[in-house]
Amino acid sequence: MRSEIMPGGVSGLGSSDGTLQYTPRTNPGLRQVLGEFSTLTDGLDYAARGITGFNFYSPRGVLAHVLPYWELREFALSTGRRLINSGLKRGSRVAVVAETGPEFMAVFFGCQYAGLVPCPMPYTMHIGGREAYVERIAGMLRSAHASAAVTCGDLEDHVNAAAAAAGVDLVLTHEQLQALPEGDVELEPFRADEQAYIQYSSGSTSHPKGVLITQRAITANTRSILQHGLKIRPIDRAFSWLPLYHDMGLVGFCLSPMMGQVTVDYLSTPSFARRPALWLKLMSDNRCTVAYSPSFGYDLAARRVNAAADDLDLSQWRIAGIGGDMVRPDVLNLFSRNLAETGFDSRAFLPSYGMAESTLAITFADLEEPFRVDVVDRAQYKLSRRAVPANDVKKLDPEKVRSFVVCGRPLPGHDVQICDGAGNLLGDREIGHVRVKGPSLMAGYFENPAATDDVMLDCGFMDTGDMGYWLDGQIVITGRAKDLILHNGRNIWPQDIEWAVEQVAPLRSGDAAAFAVESADGQDAVVVLVQCRLKDELELESLRRQVSSVVHRTSGIECEVVLVPPKSLPFTSSGKLSRAGAKSRFLSGDIAEIAARKPAVAPVGPLELAAAS
Amino acid sequence: MTASDDEIFSALCELLTPFNSNNVELKLETEISTDLNIDSVSVMDFVMEVEDHFDIDIPLNVLSDTHTMKDLVSVVVERTS
Repeated sequence: MRSEIMPGGVSGLGSSDGTLQYTPRTNPGLRQVLGEFSTLTDGLDYAARGITGFNFYSPRGVLAHVLPYWELREFALSTGRRLINSGLKRGSRVAVVAETGPEFMAVFFGCQYAGLVPCPMPYTMHIGGREAYVERIAGMLRSAHASAAVTCGDLEDHVNAAAAAAGVDLVLTHEQLQALPEGDVELEPFRADEQAYIQYSSGSTSHPKGVLITQRAITANTRSILQHGLKIRPIDRAFSWLPLYHDMGLVGFCLSPMMGQVTVDYLSTPSFARRPALWLKLMSDNRCTVAYSPSFGYDLAARRVNAAADDLDLSQWRIAGIGGDMVRPDVLNLFSRNLAETGFDSRAFLPSYGMAESTLAITFADLEEPFRVDVVDRAQYKLSRRAVPANDVKKLDPEKVRSFVVCGRPLPGHDVQICDGAGNLLGDREIGHVRVKGPSLMAGYFENPAATDDVMLDCGFMDTGDMGYWLDGQIVITGRAKDLILHNGRNIWPQDIEWAVEQVAPLRSGDAAAFAVESADGQDAVVVLVQCRLKDELELESLRRQVSSVVHRTSGIECEVVLVPPKSLPFTSSGKLSRAGAKSRFLSGDIAEIAARKPAVAPVGPLELAAAS
Repeated sequence: MTASDDEIFSALCELLTPFNSNNVELKLETEISTDLNIDSVSVMDFVMEVEDHFDIDIPLNVLSDTHTMKDLVSVVVERTS
């Protein structure tokens, strides 16, 4: 099964019998350099001196394409010339659908050599999701002022529709791009003081914010990740099913490995979603040592691995990183239990914290230590803004405590502060706003000074928008600040309400959104939107009662439960629930109750609330 | 609908049974993601079952244009012929 479709006349590495051979984990005779480069192209020029690189697996787990770094470099250089030859001016933005494959890599790195700014875009993954996808891509194209969009042939119609809506004239499929002449083009790669790419991980679907990352930021962050966060060694081999349009997939498992000449085995995200256990099987087959996932990925794999676990050997897995969402200790424990037979060592779990606005990583937990969970008293945490350890009696009652995973220390050269609302520094266990400063920070949101000014503070720190506290020099993240609900002088984290609500059958993670709206008396009234597929009125009312009661039990507040149709809740382009988006759509009436009758526990309806706010 | 379409529809209904926890009556016009009580992860699971059963691949762009059971029957017919 030799690779045939690589455009540009590049073929995969073949052995004498014609089958593909994946790239090795180590470069014989080439010293491993962990990110000591000043640009991405410097890093690729060095990696191209070895034989490590990227391997792409098919949806059924068969090796489909092999792209060693030396071949990627050639493919990128020819692609860069084709892009420039098509009339694109240096510095202009090239949107590219980030499917996990050699073609995306060629465009991303081709842009680096050509001095063009690549903007990785998502692909559609939902049944019946065409319209939403086109709208989302159009929003990104507008925000990036893209000069061109490059896509796989499958999504050509979708991207054409988005480009038409956004006024982008040049749309190319990979096949069309690779058929263009290279011409007599002198490439001018990005210099160390220039930009690198734009990441769409932030903002709502309708108003995406492009995070502009410089060469300085990406090289600083990848260097820190390789040397300090993961302490990469020559024997490491990485595995990733993370989407390449997301910072954890792009920076963590494409740019960082390349900057450390580490081999990566890829399974595309949709393939992982269909067959989560393939992740573990391929890691076992290839003896991979490093992989990352948000909590939900560990949850999915642990539930779907079933009897296949008996045949797996995951004893070599030394870094099982967790990031991208709130780290959930219960999920990590489930994974360890279900995979105990495979030799998986739960000390491999590596909690970390970061965001696209700081390229990717900000803190890492200690590699050698087991992950640490801080169990705090729920009542004190709400009332006093302090994370007080729960006593042994309270620990027995899950409703009286909150468990947080400790996310580690800031990377060298980066400074993290936790402050109160007035900017005063807080001490251990005092919950406040998390700020970060250092070489990994974004240049700003692309052509969006208002949004940039909102987060970039005069003191040089960036407001992460997250709340957290210090614990023995390590950071603990408790949730997002801007979504904080103030209720009768108490702080209520909407995540708390949502997590509790999502435990009610048949609800799932992502089915609830909690936020505050100002009621007639100026108080915060709490609204919980709950997505459900129920139709029967008795079932709806029963669900409403259960949700209302669980919210009352866990947060002690009355709330308005609004049952809404499936897929009503808006998510950001990185897949995080947009509470602000949910709130504005609710207030405008775009999201409305399924049942014709008024909710039983509603103190006021959305229109009255809108009029009052 | 030809006999073959009927067969495909019944096969799809059978594959959907484990995911159709509310026993929604399946018709050609049933909307797969909204009418049935299936979360997005289970939809991918179901798509995998369909792919394995008919030995086909359903690309994501095709999936994004598939709304009803009837749409899905057409996808299977097209990709098995």
